[in-house]
This record gives sequence, C-alpha cells and structure tokens, in this order.
Amino acid sequence: MNLRYAIIGCGKIADQHVQAARRAGGCELVAVCDREKLMAEQLAERFSVAGIFSDAEQMLKTVRPDAVHITTPPLGHFPLAKLCLEHGANVYLEKPFTVTGAEARELVALAEQKKLRLTAGHNYQFTGEMIEMRRQIASGYLGGAPVHLESHWAYDLSDATYVAPILGSKTHWVRQLPGQLFHNLISHGIARLAEFLEDDVVVSSQAHQSGRLKSLGGQEVKDELRVLLRDGKGTTAFFCFSTQIKPGLNSFRVCGPKNSLLVENGSGSIIFNRAGSAKSYLTYILPPLRIARQYLHNARKNFMDCLTGRLHQDFGMKELIARFHASIREQGAPPIPYREIVLTARIMDEIFAQMRAEESRQ
Amino acid sequence: MSSEFIVTPADKILVTGSNGFIGARAVENLLARGFFNLRCFVRPSSKLEKLQKILAQYPAAQGVEIVSGDLLSREDCTRAARDVAVVIHLAAGFDKSFAGAFMNSALATRNLLDAFLESGRPCRFVNVSSFAVYSNLHLERHALLDENCPLETAPQARNDAYGFGKLKQEQLVREYGVQRGLKWVILRPGMVYGPGKPDLSGRVGINTFGFFIHMGGSNELPMTYVDNCTDAIVLAALKPGVDGEIFNVVDDERLPANDFLARCKAAKNFFSVAAPYPLIKIGCALWEDFFNKRQGQLPPVFNRRRCAAEWGGNTYTNEKLHRLLGWSQKISTADAMNLFTARNK
Repeated sequence: MNLRYAIIGCGKIADQHVQAARRAGGCELVAVCDREKLMAEQLAERFSVAGIFSDAEQMLKTVRPDAVHITTPPLGHFPLAKLCLEHGANVYLEKPFTVTGAEARELVALAEQKKLRLTAGHNYQFTGEMIEMRRQIASGYLGGAPVHLESHWAYDLSDATYVAPILGSKTHWVRQLPGQLFHNLISHGIARLAEFLEDDVVVSSQAHQSGRLKSLGGQEVKDELRVLLRDGKGTTAFFCFSTQIKPGLNSFRVCGPKNSLLVENGSGSIIFNRAGSAKSYLTYILPPLRIARQYLHNARKNFMDCLTGRLHQDFGMKELIARFHASIREQGAPPIPYREIVLTARIMDEIFAQMRAEESRQ
Repeated sequence: MSSEFIVTPADKILVTGSNGFIGARAVENLLARGFFNLRCFVRPSSKLEKLQKILAQYPAAQGVEIVSGDLLSREDCTRAARDVAVVIHLAAGFDKSFAGAFMNSALATRNLLDAFLESGRPCRFVNVSSFAVYSNLHLERHALLDENCPLETAPQARNDAYGFGKLKQEQLVREYGVQRGLKWVILRPGMVYGPGKPDLSGRVGINTFGFFIHMGGSNELPMTYVDNCTDAIVLAALKPGVDGEIFNVVDDERLPANDFLARCKAAKNFFSVAAPYPLIKIGCALWEDFFNKRQGQLPPVFNRRRCAAEWGGNTYTNEKLHRLLGWSQKISTADAMNLFTARNK
C-alpha cells in the first residue's frame, strides 16, 4: 500500500519534493497545506492533489497522513514539526532543520517518544558520489577513522535574483534567522562534517561580507564564512562557505591515516588518493596520470548512468525521500542518524553565536 | 485635454514596476500627457537612476511619489493603493519556479487588488499580461492569433512558469471583476523590444548550447517597440469605454524572425545556426517523450506546446488597439530597430 504523505508549505521547494517523491514511488500525495490558500491551490492544481488546506492542524486531523514534508521557511519548522509529531505523522523537515539546536533536540526527543521518524532535508548526503564515498569508508579504504575533513560549499551570487529581495527587506524571513544568509545555505556543507565528527566538537569561525554583496547594498548581511572544527578524538575539519570563489567549489575531502577521498559534488566525481610515491621525476608524472584516469572513469560512469536513467539531477532528494519513506513502512532506522541532525544544528548555533559576538565587539 | 479620459490629472495613478523596462516609460508617457499625480511603486532593492532621470526631465514631476515595497506584503499594497484611481500593474517577477512565478504574479496581484478596492478610489485596474497565456497547440501554422484564441491549459507541460503566473493573474483579475465589480482592462503585449533589453526573444531563437540557434525561421514576430507598447498601456488606462476588454499589443509593422535576426547581427555580429521547423518539431516531440519516459531526467525545456507557441509561427492583428483605444504606432519599426540595435551594440 502506498505511503500517504502531505506537504506543508507550497513554495518553490515543494515542487521538487513532489517530483522527487514521484520518482521514488510507493507514495501518494494526499494533501497540500499553506497558510496562503492560493499557494496550496496552485500546487494542488498542477499535481492533481485532492486535499487543499490553509490550516495545518485541520489538515492533520482530516487527512491523517503517514508522513508530512515541511517545506515552509525555517521559522515555521519547529512548531509545525512538533504539531505533526503530536498528531502521529512522521516528518521530513527541509533544511535548515530548525532555527536552533535546542529545537532540534526537542523534536528528536518527541519523535523518539512517539516512535515516529524524522529526517532533515540534507539531500546532498545522498547523491551517488556521497553514497559511494560512504561505502568506501565503511569498507576501510581510509585505513582508520578520518583524520581531517574539508567541506567547501559555494553559492553563486552573480545573479542577484535570490539575494536582492533578502537585502531589500529587513523583514524578509532570511533576515529573521540568527545566521541570516548562512543559516539558509550552509546546512548541506555542515551536515557532511557532522557525519564524521564527535559531539564534543569545538568550533572557531570567522565571517565577513564580500565586495559583491556590499555592491548590492548588503547592509549587515555576511556571505563569506570559514570555520575550523576539532572534536575530542582529535579529528579536525575545515568548512568554507563562499559566494565569491569561481568556479563554485562544492566538494568534500576525507583524509584518513592511510588513504584519502575527494568527493566533487559539482561534477559527481569521487577521487581516490592512495598513499605511495613514485621514484624520482616519476613523482611528477605518475600521480597526475592516475588522477586523470580516475576522472575519465567518473566521466564514463556518469555517462552510462545518464544513459540508463540512473543519474538524475535531483538524485539526492529522490534517494533521501525513498529511504525515509522506507524507514516508515518498514519501521527501520531513519536515513540520517538523529545524532548528526542535532550536531549539525549545534555547530550552526555555535557559528552564529560567534558571528554575533564578533559583531558586538565591532 | 483630460475630458477624453476617465480620470483627470488630479486623480492619482499608481504604476507598479515603475522602474522596469516598460514601467519607467509608462511613467514618462503619463508625465508627457500631463499626469503628474503619480505614485511609482518600486522594489526595495531597485536602483532608481532610470526613473529619477525621467522625473528630472519634468519640473512638474516633483510631486511624484516613489513608494518602495513588496507586493507580497498587504501593508505595502495598502500604502501603494491608498487614494489611487487607476492602477497600471506592470510589476512582474521573473522566477523559474512555478510557485515563485505564481507568488510574484498572482499572489502579488491579489494583494494589490484587495488594497485597491479597499483603500483606493477605483476607476480602473490595468493588468499587463503576456502572449505567453495563449495556447497555439491546436492552431494551424501561420493562423491568426487574436484576443479570442484559446488560453494555455497546461503551462506545466509547456514548462512555462511565467505563463502560468500570468494566466493565474488574469484569472484573478477577471474573478474580481465578476465578484467585486472591479473595472479592468487586460493587455497582452507580444515581443516587447527596445534599448535596455539586449536579449533576443525565444521566438527568434535560443542561446542554450553556447551558440545562437535561430528557431523562428521566417515567422512573423509579434513585435512591439517598448514606447509603442507603453503608449497602448497608458491609453488603456485612460480611455473610456474599454472596461472588461482584452488587447493584444503588437506594432503595425512586424518583421519576420530571420530579418530581425539579420538586423541584430548587422549591428553586432555573432554566430548563429538556423534550425528548420520540421527538425525543431521532431526534436521537441522526442525531448518531451523522453522527459515523460524518464520522469524528468532532462529538464522539460523543449516540448510540443512550446514548439507551437514560439516556433510554429502565427499572424497577428492590432485592429482592436486601433479601434477601441485610438492607438497608432508612433515609432516606425525602421526607427525602432535602429534605436534597439544602436543601444544594444
């Protein structure tokens, strides 16, 4: 029997959920809900959905969905997710999971108490190359626990369409978030660090405003962020969020005691860096050839996946939704461990607290 | 002068999107006609040099209000619409997503309509729409496309978020007419061109694969030079006896797409390849079928509906503009093309 799911929040990201869920299969969109009923109606009309609501509680009571995908702006995430859990619905909560780490902890506790499942919209954790990376690490490729991690996440501001409304209005929902622009954009880059770091991680961050944002009238909004992290076991990590680096860097490097891996999300590639050296001048010839061969392998694999229909631009979300829905149907473990969701929220809390402290000092 | 119009220069006129490509010229057109009691609504992030330059040319325009805000905010709409007699609604958000386009077009218009009826002194609401609302799927190639032609019923299948937003916007305006007595006029400009808008219309061709593919063949273009288009919009706002009317806006002289492209290339040469229509038609059909079979593995940018709408080719008329609005083409197409190509060099 199909899993019956509903969507709360019928803005841009909702379309992506509906389409990814269709590809995942085994589910039926039974209701859409938005405080602005016209928004719910337009989504329902385009995807032939019977249930149209402007009140979340009424929707939950009337439709009783198995799962709810919450795709509202982040300020509504916590109260809506809590409401859904209280009404017995499993919850897929778009990123950023919650506004604060405390809210994340409370939701996880409530889900566990109610024996319901929660997941965060960290869909980039489930792209083909990230799944392969996880498989390689689980098979021991690194030669032990990761020593160091590097996560680069970029967002291109050359086209001001996204950022102009944010800069233009102090009441824009992004401006209401503690981390402003970062709060809405860095979750994916932080979540992959949280997967490999212990809970006792220490965070040190620096943020500033780029010249580009300044030229757009950026006011107090910052768009360049660098973060250093270290956990109790000594695993270190570096996170870089940039709107200025060109071409946009979107990569994840995991360095182990024996070998290392580089995941390039932009090109759907995974590169294996094996320990070992070549003699004399061959050092300058053989390693680049090995790397070149790996890129060729990635290109061939992606081409074949494209031909066979496996490679899809939104593969990560389809995969996450499929796994989340499967965890509900089969009463299995949720696709993202709660520890990682809570740690991601806590790291973000810490970054934003340091930003505010720095602003007060200035 | 004003006796031929539904409002006098003392009445307040609101122009939304007044810093935009058409909006700034609409303000200029109104000022030139002696309508100085204007309220220009702009986005908070707008850079206002263009509008301010126009206002500076008219000393009597000192009283023109510039109101900054977001049409998605009801409070901002109330500020914009207070005491307004006529609204020229030009604001258009370009968003690739359907939800975004709907928000920027329909939801924003709903807020503005409510504010206009509640806080304004409503005489007329001029809704500027687009040719994108028409469905050409069942029209013969080169058949006449006029105001009575069927509207698009599947904008999602056409992958046209902008058209979807405009369709819903028009639908709301008509509903407000029936349910709340709103007096409205709808204009559907064709391909608006002019200095300040360098990109060539998709009806001429596309630049998707790193070079220009000329898709429009020798199709007649529904072209309207921005000042001629603006003239039609302002007349629709002022002329009596046109409430509830819909106007297609195209110029009298319309070039074939290949001629238009040749003139653009003569001013600034670039590489282009012509694609014959039968090939385009087959390509679009195959792309659409592949999209459906592979559940959207490729973006649905090419499909039968878009093919018919943009590259099938139609003929056009502006008879209604002439007859009901007394509109005439002020700037000849030859002059307009010179202005367009000179500024876009």
